[in-house]
Amino acid sequence: MDRVLTDFVKVLRNANVEVSPAETMDAISVIDAIGYSNKSLLKKSLAVALPKTLEEKQQFSKCFDAFFSEDFNKESKEKDQPFIAISLISDLAKHLKEDSQAELMLAIEKAADKSEIREIKYFTQRSVFTRRILEEMGVGDLENELMQIGAMNSNSLPSETEQQMRNYLNNLREIVSDYVQEQFLLHGDVSGEKLREQVFRSMNMAQIDRSYLHEVHSLVRKMAKKLVNMYSRRKKNYRKGKLNVRKTIQKNWSNQGILFNLRWSYKKVDKPKIIVLCDVSGSVGAYSRFMLMFLFSLTEVISKIRAFVFSSHLGEVTEHFKKGHLEPAIEDALSKYGGGSTDYAQAFSDLTSICMEDIDKKTTVVILGDARNNFGPEKAHLLKGVYERAKQVFWLNPEGKYRWDTGDSVMKTYSAYCTKVFQCGNINQLERVISTLLRTAT
Amino acid sequence: MTKGPEGQIKKIMNGFAKHKYICSEQLATAVYLASKLEKPILVEGPPGVGKTELANTASLFYKKSLLRLQCYEGLDESKALYEWRYGKQLLYTQILKEQMQEVLEGAKGLRNSLNRLLKFEDIFFSEEFLESRPLLQALTSEKGSVLLIDEVDKSDEEFEALLLEILSEFQISIPELGVRKAKVKPLVILTSNNSREIGDALKRRCLHLYIPFPDVKLERKILEARVPEINASLRNQLVNFVQGIRTLDLKKLPAISETIDWAKTLILLNAKELDPKLAKDTLNVLLKYQQDIEIVTKEIPGFISSAAG
Repeated sequence: MDRVLTDFVKVLRNANVEVSPAETMDAISVIDAIGYSNKSLLKKSLAVALPKTLEEKQQFSKCFDAFFSEDFNKESKEKDQPFIAISLISDLAKHLKEDSQAELMLAIEKAADKSEIREIKYFTQRSVFTRRILEEMGVGDLENELMQIGAMNSNSLPSETEQQMRNYLNNLREIVSDYVQEQFLLHGDVSGEKLREQVFRSMNMAQIDRSYLHEVHSLVRKMAKKLVNMYSRRKKNYRKGKLNVRKTIQKNWSNQGILFNLRWSYKKVDKPKIIVLCDVSGSVGAYSRFMLMFLFSLTEVISKIRAFVFSSHLGEVTEHFKKGHLEPAIEDALSKYGGGSTDYAQAFSDLTSICMEDIDKKTTVVILGDARNNFGPEKAHLLKGVYERAKQVFWLNPEGKYRWDTGDSVMKTYSAYCTKVFQCGNINQLERVISTLLRTAT
Repeated sequence: MTKGPEGQIKKIMNGFAKHKYICSEQLATAVYLASKLEKPILVEGPPGVGKTELANTASLFYKKSLLRLQCYEGLDESKALYEWRYGKQLLYTQILKEQMQEVLEGAKGLRNSLNRLLKFEDIFFSEEFLESRPLLQALTSEKGSVLLIDEVDKSDEEFEALLLEILSEFQISIPELGVRKAKVKPLVILTSNNSREIGDALKRRCLHLYIPFPDVKLERKILEARVPEINASLRNQLVNFVQGIRTLDLKKLPAISETIDWAKTLILLNAKELDPKLAKDTLNVLLKYQQDIEIVTKEIPGFISSAAG
């Protein structure tokens, strides 16, 4: 009984619903209270105990329907073929001949259980598991027997019995294969999500195909949200600060002036104020889509952010990103500003003129770019001006470290005026960078 | 009467309906499980779908007193749990000064006086000087109670941690007095508007209920229960209209409470049916942002015609 539940919990976890052991125990006591008999009641009850966010609830509903349907809709139609005398002796042959569909299903499930179908992960394993289940059921013996019979009367046509047995066998193979497919959908990494996630995280961003934009975006967003949550929680660290003498005396007037209740002047920590500059020029063409995606995710989760993109001239896209949807917003930014040749000097001078007064000692400036300046003037003093005003300046370079300062890259010059320079070519690195960013920006 | 969980859940639904709270089966199931398993419920959902009202109704239904704790930034244990009555303590020390002298009479030396004082109980830190706040009240209540912790997402991180002990063990440790355990475990309902993510530790101690906007049928029933004087055709029009608005991309979607307000407004205006002018004039009851009103105003004729049909 509890096995059913733990299996279900595993299915849920597989579908990205986080279920802790404590919640599983809750679910067990829920089931103790209401029982398995009423399916819709069971669903509603577990829906309260297991999933804890709206998205998880939707996932839960899907999983529940899939998981608990398999027990109920198994057709149990009797076989209509007449009994045929047969000389085959293996158990399986007997089963195939005599059992109803339901009994056969039961046998398959038993075999599947033994071959640990629940461990199925990837779609490539389906045939392995199908074979394993068939072996478990004794298909090997039956095949041998059939082979022997076939060898004995090699001249004549196969007998009717033999033919029928072969049909049964093929039928069985099909049923098992369907069953494995069904189980895979439940237990396996169906969409390949986890595998893909792993790959995406460590893959160079420039090499990820554009068609995966959405998957990667959801990945980046998940990460950004997690990080922002983490640090926004840390922000509310109030009960520190100076003693507020005036308020303390006022408050304690009723205690004959004896100071029982101390009052503090709270120090509210500001939300991070971030200005992001994103290079979308030709040299970072392959990266810019993902950089913009990152930028987009940041604007989604951080309220005080200004986002700019540039090839040479700087263009603000904050409003556009905040209101629009991912793909059109990115395409728009790329077509408007992208593709040109990079001119960091121009971009910095634009930054100075547009929002220098916005940069103060609480501001974090983030620059996404490869620092390839087409051998133009560097005008590093402009960046220096920004660096001196801002709290900190981060530079995220998508290129590998070994390529910095080669050719027209002037990373070294600019890095003098950055608080820190990160290499940021894949999502794992990006995560680390954002973590640092948020920790220090608040 | 039917026995078993199904019957109990039906009973809750009917009981709530008597107090004019029409709820879905999901909600009733959650309430049933919460009282059966003695676990708190965390209720989430858009504002105005009746999260707080759920607690009110539950208190009426179970005939237990409702204790409400409104959360806000800076809420701490002295507001939520208990506080010593400093004023009273001071006053009593003043009054009892002479008594003290009597007690100490004849004592020689500091040690001697102290020993004498220690023989007496710690009277100044006893129940009489304890001002209990909602959380402690809920635990000490003899008949049990419904404890509503409203908008828990507005409180600080620290406060959330404070709740953990109370919600899982139903006890509070007061350093001076020891651990206070609940005599009768209260039914705890926490609400959240998701202005920040609630910590996992708190979430896992609670049953989780999400109340979405109601569907047409449920909203009609709710309106019927809450504003019975409205006639059926106007009610249907109204509900269809509001459901239509919810499909738009607005800053704040109208919730049930707004639908009810709107229905009451229309009754006041003696409206027999919804026409475009009336809808336009009263739209500010339903929508709370000028930009939303502008978006909807454009759509009014379409909604009216489809609402009537």
